Amino acid sequence: MLRDELIGFAKSKVMIVLWVVLPLIAMAGYLLLPKEITEARGLGGLSATAFVGFLMSSVAGTVAALMVAVDLVSERNRKVYELFVIRPMRREVIIWSKFLAVFACVTVACLVSLGLGIAVDAFRGNAPRGDEYYDIGKSLLSLIGVVALSCSVGVVFGVMSRTILVAVILILYVGQNLTIVPMLPVYLGWLPDHFWLVMLITATMTGLLVLAASVMFRRAEL
Amino acid sequence: MAALVQIENVRKKFYAQVVLDNLSLEIREGEVFGYIGPNGAGKTTTLKILAGLITKFEGTVRVAGNDVVKDRSKAHAVIGFMPQSCGFQSWRTVQSALDSLAELSGVPEALRKQRIPALLERFKLLDARFKKVKELSGGMTQKLGLIQALLHEPKLLVLDEPLEGLDPPSRNLLKEIIRERQHAGTTVLFSSHILSDVDDVADRIGILNRGTIATSGSIRELVTDFGLPLEVEVDFATTPADPGFLAELGTATERRPGEWRIRLADGTASDPVIHTAIERTLAGGGKIRKIGLVKPDLDDLFAQYIERGHVN
Ligand SMILES: Nc1ncnc2c1ncn2[C@@H]1O[C@H](COP(=O)(O)OP(=O)(O)OP(=O)(O)O)[C@@H](O)[C@H]1O
Ligand SMILES: [Mg+2]
Repeated sequence: MLRDELIGFAKSKVMIVLWVVLPLIAMAGYLLLPKEITEARGLGGLSATAFVGFLMSSVAGTVAALMVAVDLVSERNRKVYELFVIRPMRREVIIWSKFLAVFACVTVACLVSLGLGIAVDAFRGNAPRGDEYYDIGKSLLSLIGVVALSCSVGVVFGVMSRTILVAVILILYVGQNLTIVPMLPVYLGWLPDHFWLVMLITATMTGLLVLAASVMFRRAEL
Repeated sequence: MAALVQIENVRKKFYAQVVLDNLSLEIREGEVFGYIGPNGAGKTTTLKILAGLITKFEGTVRVAGNDVVKDRSKAHAVIGFMPQSCGFQSWRTVQSALDSLAELSGVPEALRKQRIPALLERFKLLDARFKKVKELSGGMTQKLGLIQALLHEPKLLVLDEPLEGLDPPSRNLLKEIIRERQHAGTTVLFSSHILSDVDDVADRIGILNRGTIATSGSIRELVTDFGLPLEVEVDFATTPADPGFLAELGTATERRPGEWRIRLADGTASDPVIHTAIERTLAGGGKIRKIGLVKPDLDDLFAQYIERGHVN
């Protein structure tokens, strides 16, 4: 199933857009930025890596959630799942494969973009130094966390909605706020600001949401 | 023989609308059952309940002894289902769609490699094997829906209007396949509006109406049970001077110039009527091309059924 999902995204050219077109657009955007921003030495300037990281963190989650939800709703409406669930299989598999496939696709897109950012920086002669790599790694990880959580939000809204429009609206209005939830305990001062703690909350929430979606999907009439 | 499908007192509502009302039906192993009824009668709803696609209903439905709600996957292992309209992922080719579905049904790869091309070949789809499903014509998609139901050679075939949209050779092929499967011991339940086709393959039919199976039995039984009025057809080569006498024999209507139907009143024997018709025609200077009793078919049965007010 997961393999099929990945083949599906590859064939429908979603992957090309995610892995090639988006990173290139991000780079083009960076290169078009005025020099005052990119080379403002005093404030450290904005490196390509940081720019891409910033762009991705605002876009990748939404893209992932929309991808999952739109795919689920449209395939369900086209009765694709009828032919699956009349077979002796576990329905949850459909949900988990969709989640994992999109998660993998978007994560790779983030890696490619960030890699491209680092390459551009290196080409301009300011490749990140050792300690900077640690920070990049951490922000990459939290980016991946956001993507995972967004995918799980996408799965939930995808299972709940009957039309693409409703799914999109739910994600744009509710989903974006949900991805902030893991940070809340820290902001509110309930828990210490600890990177790994936030990651743990993110992972738990992701798992629970996908689980909830699976249960809903198992009970749903398709 | 044991009943493979047991539907007991099923009641299904969609919001306020009662679609199935106390529906009970048993289908024996090895039987071909034709399921007919007017549009919106609830045929698809029944078949979807059987296939486990609709789970919220009252009553019990068992397939090979397995409750379709509680033992869903056991029931699924027995069924091959063809929905009224099938959907496939938009990126799938014919080959990959069928292969994945057969794999999910537990067909080993070696068998898949053998059965998929064989069935595609029979349905004249082998050339379209690597085409995308979304690029197929309506009838071709319909055939794909059939093939996916057949691939794992299930014990029970549930087909929702399988003949719809197929060209005449394919319709014959499907009927041939249904008979073949029946010989191999498969039980088939299919819905249809093409009554002559149901007549051709079904051992037994059920007419669904207003939520219940009104009648079920062999087609011959139904026709007699129903006491359909007898009809005599008379085709003239030369119409007699005054064909008015036909009206004395029963309710006469001229369907086409020179072609008459006489519906006999209840309890009238047909032989004397035919005899009289011949005598009076000859006396009137007419010539007969054809005369005889019309065998009522399923279409008549159905029309009668609706006419008699079972459908409001
Ligand atoms: N998902 C649904 N929500 C609400 N009503 C429904 C739904 N599905 C079916 N119905 C209603 O149930 C009734 C029976 O529908 P069904 O599809 O079972 O009919 P059918 O006998 O298969 O008709 P047809 O010959 O047109 O295929 C119809 O009145 C239909 O409007
Ligand atoms: Mg129907």
